Amino acid sequence: MTQGWGDGLPLIPPTQERVQDFLIAGGRFPDELVAVLPPLRADCTVEKIAINAVMAGCTGDAMPLLCAAIEAMADSRFDLAGLNATTGSVVPAVIVNGAIRNRLDIPYQAGCLGGVAGPAVAIGRAIRLIMRNVAGQLIGSTSQSVYGTPGRVAGIVFAEWEERSPWATLAERRGVAGDAVTVYGAMGTANICDVVASSADGFLDMIARSMAYPGANGFLPSSAFSETLCAINPIWAEVIAKQYPKMEDVQAYIWDKCALPIDGFRPEYRDPIGNLGRIKPDGRVHLVPKPEDVLVMVAGGEGGLHAAMLHSWGTCLTVTRPIVAA
Amino acid sequence: MTIILDPSASLAHDIADPGPDAGDLRGKKIAIRIDMLWRSWDWVSEVWAEGLRAEGADVTFWRSCGRTGQEGMDADREYNALLGDSDMAIVGLGNCGSCTSWTIADALTAAATGMPTIAVATAHFEGLANNLAKRGGRSGLRLHILPYPLDILPKEQVNDIARDHYRPFLRRFGVRSRLAEQSAA
Repeated sequence: MTQGWGDGLPLIPPTQERVQDFLIAGGRFPDELVAVLPPLRADCTVEKIAINAVMAGCTGDAMPLLCAAIEAMADSRFDLAGLNATTGSVVPAVIVNGAIRNRLDIPYQAGCLGGVAGPAVAIGRAIRLIMRNVAGQLIGSTSQSVYGTPGRVAGIVFAEWEERSPWATLAERRGVAGDAVTVYGAMGTANICDVVASSADGFLDMIARSMAYPGANGFLPSSAFSETLCAINPIWAEVIAKQYPKMEDVQAYIWDKCALPIDGFRPEYRDPIGNLGRIKPDGRVHLVPKPEDVLVMVAGGEGGLHAAMLHSWGTCLTVTRPIVAA
Repeated sequence: MTIILDPSASLAHDIADPGPDAGDLRGKKIAIRIDMLWRSWDWVSEVWAEGLRAEGADVTFWRSCGRTGQEGMDADREYNALLGDSDMAIVGLGNCGSCTSWTIADALTAAATGMPTIAVATAHFEGLANNLAKRGGRSGLRLHILPYPLDILPKEQVNDIARDHYRPFLRRFGVRSRLAEQSAA
């Protein structure tokens, strides 16, 4: 901790022996370059990942997921340079698809966004330590985050409940079948509760309208574009899919309703938003430019009643990568 | 003996030299990088551009918008083309975390071509700008600091600030001109 390597929680000392064991279990060469991470722009090697993962309490079988997630975050589309420096409270959410979910016990049922015991916490923490120690993201030094977020300690690592999803998986819809990781720049998580709706339109209305609040980054006059993500519990998903068996229709519904009238913004906002061409002929501004920018997945407990919205930070585009076993 | 391995990384190289001075502005092409975030930087750069033109320079503005995906690739091409057609670069504004990150990234790109380059940030983000420049391998990057907060001020006040800062800015940029030299005395 005195070296500045920690996050405030106790760390497991990354001894040579522990790191060696981790590398053997992970099956990758230690000097292999995985990515160059901003803002430090230093090399993130397999060994650096292993050292930080050991400190976080990870086991070696998480190495393929860690490497794929880091590679995805380093993709220029993700804008890690901006994301790691921003005043915003963004943290890369890590969403896992494929059989690896179950092998690594990544949560996708009750409590999947936080609270359920399991290795996802250590995996998330390992990624956060890599951002701190290798990428050089430090509050007050490089990161200007005004508030930060609890997700910056142990990450947001969860999976899709594929077995209960009536649609193709999130990763498959993004062109990657099998084991895959999707990284998404999340402004934390927020809850959407509905104890009245019982129809597809009712659930989707509540989700979409809840997501449309004027302080969401997607509405910023400086946001040329953005995405948004919602997790729908399996109970609602089943009802929704009976009316909307095609995911494109679900996305289009949410996109359409997830909008605010331009008249609802104070006058000084209207020109900057209008200059971006974001005011539709009907006088509304949509949170995201296109229906396909609404990312939808199935996760959460069977208690129903709630959905989760994860607003995007802005122009950091979601990246999906295959998880390649060693 | 137990050996603890280092989880951190560091850059091996650094350029502490600020690069060439802007020198004489007559006949020079100056690229000013603005953004879609800060109206105050639009105002400041307009005031400064007027002064630079009076010194005989030809000023071109380029506005940074989305920097990811196809729009980002297009932006990079545009920016690099602009730098290719310019003699020096003024890059701003670092007035938040991510925009400072992009300001410094774009300034480092310009500086790497060997042209006189200066980045502009507000006082609250000076530390970040210096850190990012250092971590980008060029701790000597020229930086001019404007007051903070800036963007919440009315245009008349921002224009006054722009005029007050013009001479110090010229000096920081290494401009050789009657105006810069007079004020340095």
